[in-house]
Amino acid sequence: MTGTAHLVFAVLALLALVLIINLVRLQALKAKYSVLWLTVGALLAVAAAVPGVLDWVADQVGVAYQPALFLLLGFGFLLLLAMHFSYELSRLETRVRTLAEELALLHHELDDQQD
Amino acid sequence: MRTAVVMPAFNEAEALPGVLAELAEAVPDHEVIVVDDGSSDGTAGVAAAAGVTCLRLPFNLGIGGALRLGFRYAADEGFDRAYQFDADGQHDPSQIATLLAGLEHADMVVGTRFTTGDAGDPGSGEGAYRVGRSRNLAMGVLRWLVRRATGHRFTDTSSGFRALRRPVLELFATDYPVEYMDSVEALLLAVRHGFTVIEVPVRMRERRGGRPSNRNLRLAYHFVRVLIVLTAGLGRRNRLGVVV
Repeated sequence: MTGTAHLVFAVLALLALVLIINLVRLQALKAKYSVLWLTVGALLAVAAAVPGVLDWVADQVGVAYQPALFLLLGFGFLLLLAMHFSYELSRLETRVRTLAEELALLHHELDDQQD
Repeated sequence: MRTAVVMPAFNEAEALPGVLAELAEAVPDHEVIVVDDGSSDGTAGVAAAAGVTCLRLPFNLGIGGALRLGFRYAADEGFDRAYQFDADGQHDPSQIATLLAGLEHADMVVGTRFTTGDAGDPGSGEGAYRVGRSRNLAMGVLRWLVRRATGHRFTDTSSGFRALRRPVLELFATDYPVEYMDSVEALLLAVRHGFTVIEVPVRMRERRGGRPSNRNLRLAYHFVRVLIVLTAGLGRRNRLGVVV
């Protein structure tokens, strides 16, 4: 990586980290997600700040082309995240449905009492 | 014996009064439960004006969700049996007696639009009901798969004209499938819980109000989804140890 590109990525990673920390600080992210994103932010920051670290990791696991490792990890992470969200969505939908049913039943009970 | 009529209604204000009036005349001792599935056309008001019980869902849950709520209410209120009846005038009140008579021999009765029942070629005879070609093909595949999955030959897996006795009502109150094409899944659910399910031939009419709820893409998507349910669900056990 050239010096300029390195700087740009370091700044971007720093911005991402600041954004994540800010969201966590404002409690806009649930605690369980904050741990996840803080980890990601920290990893990004380390990768951007220490130029040789990605090369070193790639070397250790036997990947010749370092960007491939980065993309593979990123893709795997996003895939897991999407699956996790699908799971959470399914659970939420079940709960919302049950709540809607409860609401309709309570509403009906209320109407009955007012008559 | 208390009998509940579970009637999901989504924007059926136009057809509902006629259907309710017909029911009041044909089966005055049955208690109608209209489930307003998040309508925006005053369906709930129409039901209230007709003096029937109306449960109002805060937003649209789809036919399966509306049915489950209706069954839940009927089960909570101690009804002995219940039947589904369409709010769009597709079902014929004169056929209710036929449907309920089937409950003498079974836990659940499905009114089929095809008169031949267990004996071959569907689509002919008195109650013959015309459906489009692709829909016909999809229904054929479903029939075949349901037969593989349940061991029973159902001619009309998507019929929404069904009656159930209390034990099935209790099952459906909590476990009724809420996704689109709920009728096929409900059939499997009942059979897999060991209930006897039979079909009786009934006459049906053209729908009076509302729109057919089938968009082709959506139909295709849910068709595939039900295929997965049909094949993946075989022999699987849920947390309660019940085959679903």
